[in-house]
Amino acid sequence: MLRRTFVTHLIAGLGTTATAHRSIAAEPLKMRDLYNKDLSFSDIAQDRDGSRVEITGFMAPPLKADSKFFVLTKTPMSVCPFCETDAEWPDDILAIETKRRVRVIPFNVRILVNGVLRLGSHTDPDTGFVSRVRLTDATYR
Amino acid sequence: MKSRFGRQCFGPNIPENFTKLSLYQLELLQNFGTGPLIRRQYNPIWSLRMKTSFLALAAMLTATATTAQDLPQAGNNWFSAAQSELKSRLAITPNTGKAKNVIILISDGNGVGSNYAARLWMGQQAGGFGDDFVLPHEAFPNLALSKTYNVNAQTPDSAGTGTAMHSGVKTKAGVIGVDETLNRGDCSQVQAATVANAAEIYTNLGKNVGIVSTARLTHATPASVYAHSADRNFEDDSKLPEGCATPDISSQLLDAMKAGTVDIALGGGRRHFIPKDTKGEEGKSGKRTDGRNLIKEAADAGIAYVWNDETAAAADLTKPVLGLFESSHMKYEHDRTGEPSLAEMTEMAITSLAGGENGFFLSIEAGRVDHANHAGNAHRMVTDAAAFAAAVARADALTDDADTLIIVTADHEHAIAFNGYCGRGSSITGLCMGVDSNGIEHTGEPNLAADGQPYTVIGYLNGSGSVLREDMNWAGVRPAGLDEETATDPDYIQQALIPSRSETHSGEDVAIYAKGPWAHLINGTVEQNYIFHVMHHAATVE
Repeated sequence: MLRRTFVTHLIAGLGTTATAHRSIAAEPLKMRDLYNKDLSFSDIAQDRDGSRVEITGFMAPPLKADSKFFVLTKTPMSVCPFCETDAEWPDDILAIETKRRVRVIPFNVRILVNGVLRLGSHTDPDTGFVSRVRLTDATYR
Repeated sequence: MKSRFGRQCFGPNIPENFTKLSLYQLELLQNFGTGPLIRRQYNPIWSLRMKTSFLALAAMLTATATTAQDLPQAGNNWFSAAQSELKSRLAITPNTGKAKNVIILISDGNGVGSNYAARLWMGQQAGGFGDDFVLPHEAFPNLALSKTYNVNAQTPDSAGTGTAMHSGVKTKAGVIGVDETLNRGDCSQVQAATVANAAEIYTNLGKNVGIVSTARLTHATPASVYAHSADRNFEDDSKLPEGCATPDISSQLLDAMKAGTVDIALGGGRRHFIPKDTKGEEGKSGKRTDGRNLIKEAADAGIAYVWNDETAAAADLTKPVLGLFESSHMKYEHDRTGEPSLAEMTEMAITSLAGGENGFFLSIEAGRVDHANHAGNAHRMVTDAAAFAAAVARADALTDDADTLIIVTADHEHAIAFNGYCGRGSSITGLCMGVDSNGIEHTGEPNLAADGQPYTVIGYLNGSGSVLREDMNWAGVRPAGLDEETATDPDYIQQALIPSRSETHSGEDVAIYAKGPWAHLINGTVEQNYIFHVMHHAATVE
């Protein structure tokens, strides 16, 4: 293969990859896609258990500084100081185990998380947070 | 205060709205040639007594004048509809009988603005533009505005407002069933500051008492029916300060049910009734640190316990009933599963309470309209407000206007606001579409702001939907490309200005709607605690 041809193919391949990536990114899962109304796991969630997925949501305030763990919620965590003494965790949350130490994102900024979907009860060893579903080896932007 | 005739009319204790009404009466009558007579005899007490007859006379003259004239718009549908409305209102006569039953329905955080959103939502769900839809309580014949501030807070909280409505006195923010002499959190002051609450007052009148809420039964509004607490947060013993002699709020509910001052209580908040090492029916742990299981204690005392829609449907309503349908608050209506609706709980409560010879007092709260507003999520706000409207309709259908006073109100409003200029049929949770000058329905094209971006009908002044970002030194740019599908998504957070984790209440007035005995006393702009006095008067008048 001529060098020029190889470079052309490489660029084309990169373009295809980039297009495919954009395609995935254009239709990420929503948090609610993981659950049925009764909070059992949806067919989508069960089909993708163990697969890498992209999901949008909001980063809840990290439970511990300098950790590799945070909680993703479908809407920003709303803590009314007049109304509640504790954070009211919604039922449909997603635990995120990150590849790198967590860089905190402002509470009102939607993020896109990429990670491996794992269904089943799990306790985070650092925070003791119990989750029913999580993304492992996750990155986010 | 000077009248327009330069006369000193009123002392400092006369409400301002009274002045306005009186001057309005004078204007009406002057227009019909009786002004000089009125001016000669004018004094406030006389005016008060004559208010009803003057207004009736004015209305009659107005109606006569209208029907006597051949107006070109007489055939217009809007004109004839308003004429029909006028005729039906002229036929209304005040009900001055004694109220056997009193029902107050409080939609937490559902002020005039939020109620407007609910009206459009329900109307649009029914296939219309929404503006002309009539919510069940909007058909009630009597309306007033309620001033909701707490004694120490321009912007109120639900503990102070609940106490105002259930005990008849305004008090400080954050305290329940006590007056303003108490400093929030100081248990030692509770006994001296205690005021009688609705559960105690109506029990003493021989009535059954019920509480329904989609929030925790220990949350501020329902707690104000039966509890006395130095702090709304004392929902279980783990929150009590060291040495506090006043029982926690969940213990007070159990005590009230054992004593017979509360006969049925349906809502959320199971976690405050069970120990922290005990899990409830849905697998969530309790909060109590004293080891008490109040649910078991309730069962031992002969109180029926229900925890989901199935057990609720099978409940023996001849017994006292405690329903705890969630560990914390019940679900939003949009997310509800396995739990009774607010309307279903309303029917349960009325069925349970109606057997009493002397009638009942029932307080019903849609607690999560407030929470959805706090979250800046208009979709869940309007869907919970619609569930509230269904509860109002159910309560109305199950009772008789002749002997049941129904009050519908909110405890406070939120920092919700509405953009313009939107064409008819713009989705209340969606984008503000253009006005079609050549038609009725909107143009289908969203209005654009100066930044070239569309915007939703509903916005919030503050909250988690803020367009300002911490990582941009609190500068901000509105997201580009907001479309109708995104804006009407049930999880969409409406844009806000001031950044805060939770959108706030506001001090704006809320409406009071009323029907039944003495409902005509709901009129004008009143202090919120006045609601209690109308209910109490209706229930005790001879």
